[in-house]
Amino acid sequence: MARLLLGLVLVLLAEPAFAQQPDSAAQALKRLSIEQLMNLEVTSVSKRPERLAQTASAIQVITQEDIRSSGASSLPEALRLASNLQVAQLDSRQWAISARGFNSTSANKLLVLIDGRTVYTPLFSGVFWDVQQVTLADIDRIEVISGPGATLWGANAVNGVINVITKDAKDTPGVALSGGGGTELRGFGTARYGGQVGSAARYRIYATRFARDPSALPSGQDAVDDWHLGQGGFRADWDASTITHVTLQGDLYDGRIGQPSAGDITVSGGNVMAKWSRTISETSGLTAQLYYDRTNRDIPGTFGEDLDTYDVDLQHQTRLGARHDLVWGLGYRLINDRITNTPALAFLPAHVARQWFTGFVQDEIALVPDRLHLALGTKIEHNDYTGFEIQPSGRVNWTLSPAATLWAAVSRAVRTPSRVDRELYAPGQPPYFLAGGPGFHSEEELAYELGYRHQRGSFALSVATFYSRYHGLRSLEQVNPPAATPIVIANGQDGESYGAELTAAYVVTSRWRVRAGYTELRVHVWPNPGSTDTSRGLTESQAPDRQLFVHSSADLPAHLRLDVGLRAIGEIARAQVPSYEELNARLTWQPTAKLDLSIVGQNLLNPRHIEFGAPGATRREIERGVYGLVEWHF
Amino acid sequence: MAFLSRALPLAALLGAGQGLAAQGVRASEYQVKAVFLFNFAQFVDWPAEAFPAADTPLVICVLGNDPFGDALDQTVRDERLGSRPFQVRRYQSVDEIKTCHILFINRSEGARPEAILAGLNQRAILTVSDADGFAQRGGMIRFVTDRNRIRLQLNLAATEAAHLTISSKLLRVAEIVRRTGS
Repeated sequence: MARLLLGLVLVLLAEPAFAQQPDSAAQALKRLSIEQLMNLEVTSVSKRPERLAQTASAIQVITQEDIRSSGASSLPEALRLASNLQVAQLDSRQWAISARGFNSTSANKLLVLIDGRTVYTPLFSGVFWDVQQVTLADIDRIEVISGPGATLWGANAVNGVINVITKDAKDTPGVALSGGGGTELRGFGTARYGGQVGSAARYRIYATRFARDPSALPSGQDAVDDWHLGQGGFRADWDASTITHVTLQGDLYDGRIGQPSAGDITVSGGNVMAKWSRTISETSGLTAQLYYDRTNRDIPGTFGEDLDTYDVDLQHQTRLGARHDLVWGLGYRLINDRITNTPALAFLPAHVARQWFTGFVQDEIALVPDRLHLALGTKIEHNDYTGFEIQPSGRVNWTLSPAATLWAAVSRAVRTPSRVDRELYAPGQPPYFLAGGPGFHSEEELAYELGYRHQRGSFALSVATFYSRYHGLRSLEQVNPPAATPIVIANGQDGESYGAELTAAYVVTSRWRVRAGYTELRVHVWPNPGSTDTSRGLTESQAPDRQLFVHSSADLPAHLRLDVGLRAIGEIARAQVPSYEELNARLTWQPTAKLDLSIVGQNLLNPRHIEFGAPGATRREIERGVYGLVEWHF
Repeated sequence: MAFLSRALPLAALLGAGQGLAAQGVRASEYQVKAVFLFNFAQFVDWPAEAFPAADTPLVICVLGNDPFGDALDQTVRDERLGSRPFQVRRYQSVDEIKTCHILFINRSEGARPEAILAGLNQRAILTVSDADGFAQRGGMIRFVTDRNRIRLQLNLAATEAAHLTISSKLLRVAEIVRRTGS
C-alpha cells in the first residue's frame, strides 16, 4: 500500500485557495497536489465533499482496510478498532458496547445505525449485537462518534453514534467466495455476487452462515452458548438520472444459540429499505428514506419478543446567502412490540404500539469563511412516554492553520424511557420483586467538549476532551426501606464524566503503518437526596478507566502482509473485572490478486480472559481463538 | 432519530466548517478523476517520438461511454504543458485511436482490458481505468475508490513496457501492483 494514510481518521485538506474559486470546481481542484486530491472525499454526483478534519466532534472512522487487516469476524470485533468505544465481550455472542462509559449489556446511551437504519431495540434502548451480522467485506466504513449526536440523530445518541455504511453495489462486482474455520469461530462461509442491469443499475446478493464455539465457565467447563446463524440479503443502487440516486436493500436472518438450562434461544428477522436522493441545485439536495424492520427473539424461560419497526425520514439541505448552510429534516417511527411473558419476568402491558415524531434543523454559519464556522441546531422530538424533548447544540470549528483545527461544542441530549424503565416486572406475577417506574422520565445530559486535530505529512494526531453532567440517571429505589425489596425503577441518581480520547497515526514507510489510540475516562454517579439506591452507579456504568490500542500493518516480501493489534484494557468496577492485555494478529498471503489465504489469531496472550460481568460461577470467559480464512474473488 | 448517512455523511451533519460545501464547490467523483488525468501529464515522461513537434498537443482520450460529462474538457481548457496545449478526444473502439497520450478506458470496457491493451500494442499511451483488477490485468493506472477517496494503483511493468517514465512524485503516492493471472 502506498504512503497514504489509509487507516487515517483525520484528513486535513485545508487549502484556502481551493474554496475561493466557487465559480469553477475544476479550477479549484487543479490547485491541489496529488496527495490532496487523494485525501479529498469524493461523492457520486449528487453529494458534496466533506473534510473529516473539520468535523466539530470526536469522530473516528474505521475503514474497510482497517476491518480487513484486523481479522475481525463480526461487527462488535470490528468496533474494537475505534479507541473511543468501550467494547467488551461477555460470552460467545453477547457484547457490552458504549462510548464515554455507562457500559453494560443493555447500554442505552449509544445510537447504532446500519445504512441509516436504527438497530436499537425499544425494549431497553440498546442493541442486540448477536443479530447485527453485517458482511464485513461489504462495509465501506464505520463512523464512530463519541459524545452527544442528539441534535441531528436524536434520542439515544447521548454518548455516541455508530454509523455503519455499506458499499455501493457498484463497488462489489463479480463473484466473491470466502470461508474457513478454527477453534472458536468453528466454521463460516460467505458467497456474494454483484451484477449489473443496464448501464445505470447495479446489485449484489449475498448469503452467509457461521457456527461459533461456546465460551468457557471459570471452572473450565463449556458454557453451552454455542451459536449458529445464517443470513442472506441484497443491495441495489440505481443512478436514475445524473441527479437522482435510488438504493434498495434488505436482509433476512435466522439463528440459534445454546442455553445451559433451557431450550435454545432462537432469533430471526429481516429488514427492507428504500432510499431516494436528489440534487436540486448546486447548493441544495433532498433525501428520503423508508424502512421496515422485523425482529423475533425467543429466550425460553426468560421472554420472547416480536418487534416491527416502520420508519420514514426526509431531509433537505440548502444554502441561504453566502454564509448559511441549512439542513433540516422530519421523521416518523412506529413500533409494534409484542412480548411473550414468562414466570421469570413480564413486560406490562405485553403488547404496545408506540410512535415518535422528530424534526431537526441546523444552521452552519461561516463567521470567517474557511476559518471559523459555527453550527447551531436543535432536535425536537415527541415520544409517547415524555412528550416533547428538545436537544440543542452549538459547535464551533476554528481552522488554525492548514495542519491544525480546534473545535468545541456544548450539547444537551436526553435518553428517553424504554420499555425496561417503565414496563418491566419481575417475577412475572405479583408480588413483584422489581417494578418499572410509572414516573420514569428522560435522563438528561449536558456535555462540554473541546478537541484538536493536527496532521502534517505522514503523521496525524487528534485529541478530544469532554466533561458531561447527567441528571436523573436510572436508579433502583426501595419501596419500603429499609426492606431490600421490593424495588422500583426511578431517576434517583446524578452523575458526571470526564476524560480524553487520543488517536495518532504514523506512516513509517510505504510498507509499514502504525496507529494508536488511548482513552482516559472517569465516571462518577451518586444518589440524589431521598434516593435509596446504593449501587454508586455500578449497575449503570461499568467501564475501564483507561484503554490503549496499538495497530501495526506491514507489507512483507513474497506477497505477505502482517497485521498486529494489541489492546490493554484497565480494570472495571473496582477490580470486579481485572485489567487485561490481548493481542490479535493476521498473516495474509496473496499469491494472486484473486486469492487471499490468511491465518488469524485472536486473544493470543491468554488461554482465557474475562472482559465483563460480576464475579461468579457463571461468568463467561473468552478463549484464545485461531482460524484460517480463504477468500477468492473473480 | 436515525438519519440518512448516505446523502449527508455523518461528519457533515455534525460539523461546523464544511468549507468546501459552504463555498458551493462540489467535487464529484469524475470531476476529481478528470483532474487526476490532467495531473498525470506532469508526472509522466513520454518517449520523444510521442510528440513530433514542440507544440504537438497532449491528447487525453476516453474510450467507451464518457463518464466525465464536460468535466474533462473544462479541466484542460486553456491549459498548457510547456508549449503543448491539451486536447480531449473520444473513441468507441480501440482501432480508431490514432494520436493519444493518456487513455481513459470506461469501467465496463476496462473490466476486460486484454483485447484493448493488445490493440494498443504497447504504444506509449498511459492507460487508466477505474475497472476492478485493471492494473493487475495489464493496465497501467487504476483509480480505486476507497471510503470515498480516490487512490491509485500503478502497474510499473506495464508502463516500462510502453517506455513511459513515471515521476517519483506519482510513485510515492501510488500502490504498486504486479500483473497476475497471466
